[in-house]
Amino acid sequence: MNAAARAVDVWKVYGSGEAQVIALRGVSLEVERGKFTAIMGPSGSGKSTLMHCLAGLDSVSRGQVAVGDTLVTGLSDGGLTKLRREKVGFVFQQFNLLPTLTAEENISLPLAIAGRKADPAWFKTVIDTVGLGDRLKHRPSELSGGQQQRVACARALVSRPEVIFADEPTGNLDSKSGADILTFLRRSVSEFGQTIVMVTHDANAASYADRVVFLADGRIVDEMSSPTAEAVLDKIKSLDVMTGADE
Amino acid sequence: MIKASLRGLLHRKLRLTLAVVAIVLSVGFLAGSIVLGDTLNNRFAGLFRTINQNVAVQVQPNDDRTETPARLTDADLANLKVDGVDKVSGDVTANGFIPFRSDTGKAVTAQTTLAVGVGPEGDQLGLVEKRRGDWPAGSGDVAISANTAKLAKVGLNDEIKIFIPRLGEARTYRVSGIVGFAGGRDTLAGETLIMFQLDHAQKLIYGESGLYQGASFSAKDGVSQAELKKRIEAKLPKGFKATTGDEATEEASNSVSDQFSAFTIILSAFAGIAAFVGIFLIYNTFNIIVAQRSRELALLRAMGAGWGQVIGTVLLEALVVGGVGATLGLAAGIGVGAGAEAWLSSQLGIALPSGGIVVSLWAVVWSYVVGVIVTVIAAFIPAVKASMVPPVAAMREVVRPDKSLVGLSIVGAAFLVLGAGLLFLALAGVGSLTALLLAIGVVMIFVGVALLSPLLAKPVVRAVGAIVGRGQAGKLGVRNALRNPRRTAVTAAALMIGVTLISMAATVAQSFKTSLTEILGGDFGVEVMIQAPPTAPPTGEAGFNPSAMDKVKQLPGVTEAAAWHITIDAAVNGTPAFLAATDVAVAQRMWRLETVGGQLKTLGEQELVLDDKMAEANRWKVGDKLDVRVGHSSKQYTVVGIYKASPTVQGPILGLPAVDDFAGKLAYQGFVSLDSSADVGWTVAAVEKIMEDYPGVQVGDMSAYVEQTGQAFDFLVNAITVLLGVALIIALLGIINTLLLSIVERTRELGLVRAVGLSRGGVVRMIGVESVLIAIFGCLLGVALGIGLAAAAVKALIDMKVMTTFALPWTSLVTYVFVALVFGVLAALWPARRAAKLNVLDAIAYE
Repeated sequence: MNAAARAVDVWKVYGSGEAQVIALRGVSLEVERGKFTAIMGPSGSGKSTLMHCLAGLDSVSRGQVAVGDTLVTGLSDGGLTKLRREKVGFVFQQFNLLPTLTAEENISLPLAIAGRKADPAWFKTVIDTVGLGDRLKHRPSELSGGQQQRVACARALVSRPEVIFADEPTGNLDSKSGADILTFLRRSVSEFGQTIVMVTHDANAASYADRVVFLADGRIVDEMSSPTAEAVLDKIKSLDVMTGADE
Repeated sequence: MIKASLRGLLHRKLRLTLAVVAIVLSVGFLAGSIVLGDTLNNRFAGLFRTINQNVAVQVQPNDDRTETPARLTDADLANLKVDGVDKVSGDVTANGFIPFRSDTGKAVTAQTTLAVGVGPEGDQLGLVEKRRGDWPAGSGDVAISANTAKLAKVGLNDEIKIFIPRLGEARTYRVSGIVGFAGGRDTLAGETLIMFQLDHAQKLIYGESGLYQGASFSAKDGVSQAELKKRIEAKLPKGFKATTGDEATEEASNSVSDQFSAFTIILSAFAGIAAFVGIFLIYNTFNIIVAQRSRELALLRAMGAGWGQVIGTVLLEALVVGGVGATLGLAAGIGVGAGAEAWLSSQLGIALPSGGIVVSLWAVVWSYVVGVIVTVIAAFIPAVKASMVPPVAAMREVVRPDKSLVGLSIVGAAFLVLGAGLLFLALAGVGSLTALLLAIGVVMIFVGVALLSPLLAKPVVRAVGAIVGRGQAGKLGVRNALRNPRRTAVTAAALMIGVTLISMAATVAQSFKTSLTEILGGDFGVEVMIQAPPTAPPTGEAGFNPSAMDKVKQLPGVTEAAAWHITIDAAVNGTPAFLAATDVAVAQRMWRLETVGGQLKTLGEQELVLDDKMAEANRWKVGDKLDVRVGHSSKQYTVVGIYKASPTVQGPILGLPAVDDFAGKLAYQGFVSLDSSADVGWTVAAVEKIMEDYPGVQVGDMSAYVEQTGQAFDFLVNAITVLLGVALIIALLGIINTLLLSIVERTRELGLVRAVGLSRGGVVRMIGVESVLIAIFGCLLGVALGIGLAAAAVKALIDMKVMTTFALPWTSLVTYVFVALVFGVLAALWPARRAAKLNVLDAIAYE
């Protein structure tokens, strides 16, 4: 079975000489199709960089990245645009909705940009799942943070991408709203077979995933299947001790 | 506080750059026009210094218009040669002696065509120097300047044909000599100069020999100008005055200065418009910058800064920006002014040596006053806004809900109504402040419409957006244009001002052209028109000899031909007036004049007719006696008839005997009636043949005349458009500025739309649509307002019987909207490129 996304010996180096920072040191990772993968690690471990590289938002210094059967490494801006239209979806920490569009218009934005029509049945399913009900015609400024993030999740889901990349999706939310979002992401994987990669530093959030990959100092140091919050927390603590990071 | 604010300024230097550019442009325009005027003046002052270089004292008749000017005789000249006088030069000079070219037979075109009388000794004061040949010895000889020889393509001993105004015809002379000016110059200022033998010149100019219109004296060594003037004054005949050479130079310079100052004032008015447009750009810049840093300002407030200090920081920024802009603008203005002066001088054929660039204190003062004041005015409201931000509110996430536009719109409507009121008062001609009322009214209307424009922005942008906002990128652009109607409106309003003035000019011009066609297309008995050169002063010294009309009358098919004389050197009951003289009986038949009172007949001596509007306004009636001054003669005229004023004929008309009092006896216009058998084209050609000896006189049928007048109006509209160019460029910069600042504000959104699949091209389209919408909105506002103002002006002109009809220049108006579209695209280029080049990841992470 081929992976939904794949990184092979990826290096990412910022700057040069004295100021050189190595964010990723030869990371190889296969993201399984139809699974919920969490990437964890202390601050500065390179977890966000890894996700950005996987999603084609950042270029790699060495190695290769592929989404589905598309080789991301070396794509032109046009190719990246096509990739974003057809293969990836994003959920960001800061919601990132367009303030000029209603919730519903924000959800269908990727399809509108790509010039595609939404499958009405699928659109309805997504809307129902996201549970916004009567607030679809509202502008983002009239929605709570949890509601905005649900709109962002629905937007990522509606174009049925190969992979959804979620970057600390619960980072700006209270625990109740965060739990709603995680439940929603979990259901997308379980019920619709959506592949999701999520970066988080919250052990509880990671416990919703099928698999957790642990990064430290730019390397994958461990991984865990069917994680529980306690197990993840223990793992993190041991990593913190190991790297001396203080998160 | 000052340090914090200056550091902030450096931090935002990129964002302020366009504001500075706007100030540089408007100040540069203003400083440029002042420098241009001063430098031109200096050039002419140099000319008069050259002319008067050897003149110690000049004697001229008093400038008394009511009497025939006094002349000096040979005896007077001898008498005035007091002790201390070295040389005397009697002044026999006139203008309008036009030489013809030897090759084409056409008249030479020159700004000034001088004739001078000269004795056998040549120019006593050494300004004119003989180069080859001899001074004119007989009445068939002339000496001409090297420039004249070049222009007329004649050489020594050749024949030259010269138009003699007093005779109303051309005569042929032999070139006995070629002359130049002191310093080896062929010409003083591009003029032609013909020197006749003294006695002959006196006959040609005054009609008898032995007369001079003045005299110049040089002084013996050691005698000062003032001393010599005193001695000469003691012997002056009645009706004359004496001035020193220095005084004469200054007087002449000032009179030329006055002419150029009108020109400079017009340029400065357009510079003022550019500065006014700049206010919008700078206001928007500061408004956006203040909004973007409301957190920083709130932090300053939270740390104990008073609101005065916050206003102070913003105004200090404005002062620095204005000061920098004014300095650069002044520098640019000096360059532009000097360049324009050189170009203009060469275009006008003013062959004067440059006197160097003149930067007066006024140019410097005005640059700083305008640059700094405009910026401070524009920054004031944003500064006050910034000071009112409650510290706690702004420290939280910046929330800018749509504020109600009701208050703003009410104030705008009030301004609009008041401005329109003033405009109508001004157009109705109330009091002597008409021009001021008009200006204030128009500015108030602009401010009113600018304040109302946010309200209009939504519906107009939506409607236009439905056409230009195709595709998702386009739709996003439309939404962005709508999200902050105030910002869109202020940016558009800057463009509106220029477009308003252009549309207004074009509409008035179109109305005038249409009216003219309508008027002349009316049921009149005029088929062919004869017209003196349009550049000639209408005082009877240029034009054609009325006797030529007798030849025209002989042409087959011609039923009537009438000459019209006009003069502007006239007054009725003490009020300056524009007078015409013709055969009123013929005019009545040709122009179908309607009799209101008395009789419209061929007028005799001291008889005149009036139009009904003038008669009514002054309560004059048939039989009244009016004091009419024409040139130097004042007489009592009797009103014998009153006719109905029309756009073709209005004002007081005298009979042909009155022409004796006109300064020149040449006719200014002629009209010809044909019977149905006549061929208009053939007649025009035949009349042209008759008129060929009269320099610059044009002959055409009515449609040719309409076309010519139309072209003159088109030229005027084009000139206004060019002069408004700077204002339009500033408006364009304003759009660029707003887009750039908006892009900074929306960096994260740009990252997002890229992340969800919008291509670079899509980003460019999105910003392009927003830009085009702003530009078209501004243009539509301008066109609408321009049409409105033009309608008011045309209505006033129709009431004054100058026009008959209001007409819209559709082609031009559509072109303006199209140009606005191109403007919008151009304005978007740079901001869109910047936005498209944003790194998606950085953009999303942007705080």
